[in-house]
Amino acid sequence: MKERFSIKFGGESGQGINTLGKFISKALKNLGYVTFAYREYPSIIKGGYASYQIDFSSQDILSSTKKCNLLTCISKDSITEYLPTVAKNGILLHSVDSFEFSKSDLEYLKKKSIKVVYINTSEITKSNNAPQIMGNVVMLGSIWKIFDIDLKILEKVIVEYFSRKKGIDIEAEKRCLRAGYEVEDIKNLQIVKFPNIKNRDWSKSKVLTGNEALALGAISAGCRAYYAYPMTPATSILEVLGNTYEKSGIVVKQAESEITAIQMVMGSMYMGTRAFTATSGGGFDLMTESISCSGMTEIPLVIVLGQRAGSGTGVPTWSGASDLNVALHSGHGEFPRCVLSASDAVDCYQLIQEAFNISEIYQIPVILLTEKHIAESIFNISKLPTVTKIERGIVKNGTKRYLITRNGISPRWLPESKNNTYLTNSDEHDEMGISTEEEIEIVNMSEKRLRKLNALIKNIPEPKYYGPKDPTVVFVGMGSTKNAVLDAMKQSKKRIGFLHYKYIFPLKYEKILEFSEKKVKIVLIENNQSGGFGKLIKQQSNFYISNTLNKFDGRPFFVDDILEYFK
Amino acid sequence: MKIDIFDYNTNVKNTWCPGCGNFNIHMALKTALIELNRHPSDVVLSFDIGCNGNGGDKIEGFRVKGLHGRAIPFAVGAHIANRRMTVIADIGDGGCLHEGIDHLIHAIRSNYDITVLIHNNENFALTTGQITSTSDTGKRMYGFPNGKTEGDINIGELVLSLNPSFYARGFSGDPIHLAQIIKSGIKHKGFSAIEIVQVCPTYNPENSLELLKSKIEKVEESDDIEIARKRVCDDKKLYTGVIYRNSSIKDYYSKLKNRQNIKSELVDEVKNHSISNILSDFQ
Repeated sequence: MKERFSIKFGGESGQGINTLGKFISKALKNLGYVTFAYREYPSIIKGGYASYQIDFSSQDILSSTKKCNLLTCISKDSITEYLPTVAKNGILLHSVDSFEFSKSDLEYLKKKSIKVVYINTSEITKSNNAPQIMGNVVMLGSIWKIFDIDLKILEKVIVEYFSRKKGIDIEAEKRCLRAGYEVEDIKNLQIVKFPNIKNRDWSKSKVLTGNEALALGAISAGCRAYYAYPMTPATSILEVLGNTYEKSGIVVKQAESEITAIQMVMGSMYMGTRAFTATSGGGFDLMTESISCSGMTEIPLVIVLGQRAGSGTGVPTWSGASDLNVALHSGHGEFPRCVLSASDAVDCYQLIQEAFNISEIYQIPVILLTEKHIAESIFNISKLPTVTKIERGIVKNGTKRYLITRNGISPRWLPESKNNTYLTNSDEHDEMGISTEEEIEIVNMSEKRLRKLNALIKNIPEPKYYGPKDPTVVFVGMGSTKNAVLDAMKQSKKRIGFLHYKYIFPLKYEKILEFSEKKVKIVLIENNQSGGFGKLIKQQSNFYISNTLNKFDGRPFFVDDILEYFK
Repeated sequence: MKIDIFDYNTNVKNTWCPGCGNFNIHMALKTALIELNRHPSDVVLSFDIGCNGNGGDKIEGFRVKGLHGRAIPFAVGAHIANRRMTVIADIGDGGCLHEGIDHLIHAIRSNYDITVLIHNNENFALTTGQITSTSDTGKRMYGFPNGKTEGDINIGELVLSLNPSFYARGFSGDPIHLAQIIKSGIKHKGFSAIEIVQVCPTYNPENSLELLKSKIEKVEESDDIEIARKRVCDDKKLYTGVIYRNSSIKDYYSKLKNRQNIKSELVDEVKNHSISNILSDFQ
């Protein structure tokens, strides 16, 4: 682990550890490091324990390590919970008054040579004439001293943040930060030497969660309305689009249910604007009748499905990727659809734009999969990719809304004054949209709709391969699995490759077969128990991937998980 | 260009029962639209599933026949996207009060500027006469020889309990009056809930045209909620007309702070929008 360093903040939900994490992230980023931040938190408002882990490196990183080098805790429970995640020769910094370690904890500290430092933040804040809450900033000062970096860099970030808030004593914040930096006990703490930064100016780079990137992508794509019902981990899309609505002009509506949200999306898309909704598994289940309706009526539809762990309510604030089955198979009857899967913030930004284009050109529902680990983790991006050109496939006017064509795509023109009217029908219908029960018409229309998939697959890019030309092992996967494998490649001597799928359905599987012919070991990696992606590959290509790496404990793949696979 | 009823007629074969209230309801709707000088291409009609929904091909306009219970949220999405269009949701008592009652409730409190026609024939007719919450107690219904066990929903009482901006009641047996009511609903800037007492000679012959006619009493538009409440709760009479209207409640879109000075509609705005002014927050 020479090339990367990891710091974890632990505390109760509601104690402000996210803000602490953001300050450190931003200051590190401004120094030129690439950061990746991962949050764990319980499905409660106050109490319990939550963490915010920042991994940083001089190279690109996209994932977290299991063990952290520096653990900073501001609550009792979080020390107990996260102590086992401190790596060998690591440091535990905490502010819990008269904390007593259990016998097993003491053994762990000794075994791993972990140094423990207690910072008496209440005394420090008191002597600096500051409120106790500023103890958090004292901790930041101490961390920065351990890193041995110029305090001005961190101070600038903190001052910038608090100057935007009302009623904050910024001078007191500065005093506390300085006091933390000057705590005697930390001055001689040895820490691994930080890697050098190679001429990189990342000061203008962006720090974005997957959901933030996705919301920005939607705005770029000309989306003008967002309708949603809150559900973790999709909720923060509502937050971003809501909080920026005055700048964007987008109509943001928190609907009374997921069914309302998706029907409003359909109504708006039918009229010819761009709208979408986002939800998680349970909410998506409620939307599925509308997905089928979109397939039949050929009204474009875009849904973001932010996956989390488990069936039922599951483990609501934890990550997983077990909803591909519903993305692929939800909705009654047979109709074409497209399923996309994002792996990181850049994907979120780009694929939501693609989703709008595909749904409008092919007049089909498009489901964009994300995961809690993508939606809420904080990625560091040097520059967002250029905007995708808007393609809509709309004609000015027409006569037969459901005209039978070779590629299955019928002319779609918008319901607008002076245009020819038509019936958009969820009953089986003829070319004019009029309900039908005739055998031939049913067959012709069903075939017309499914032909759109043949047209779509021709325009779908191949999966992207990362890795050496002559790999010995190639992982095949979608979603956030990519990030852990790519990070592991940098640390492993093995010739590891990764075949990354963003376009899940319709599926292009030829690349997998090519590796198989070359006798390369292929490993299916999935953040679920039963391997839904592998089943899709088998169904489409008749190729069965017998080597699998699955994880379904609510946690994403960490770099260590990949490295351990080879042990 | 002068519009007449032929512009709204279609040549699709009729599938309603003889004497069905839907004939007059369509007549009234077409009349209202013509009198308001709305061309079929100015109108979006969001139909539910059921006998009312089977009217989707019997009238001109941009018609959508979507999902059961969901005619209202679809119509709302259409309205928000393009307010140049007149948007009407057309739904039965089954879809409105059973499958999709949440949509009705929240649409009233949101006060979207659309009109909703609630066909109340007191049963699920297309699926051959199942119970709804407006079916008469004790009346033999599909699968329930002794009638329903549950209580009723009084549409007027429900709507009036939600601080609505417009509630009217019309009667399929009086299409001329109904046309005027629908006109008022379309003109009203806000959510216009119009209950239509509809005859169903096949599955609800007990409430015949004659019987209903004898109960009807037309009233003038009122802004007095107490009078309105008394009227909708009267068992003996069926008051028709604009039972309650409160024009002081602004419609949903007019209240959107970020759309105040924007002249264009959402359908006009689909282009690559710059995010640079937002992106600066994420540095």
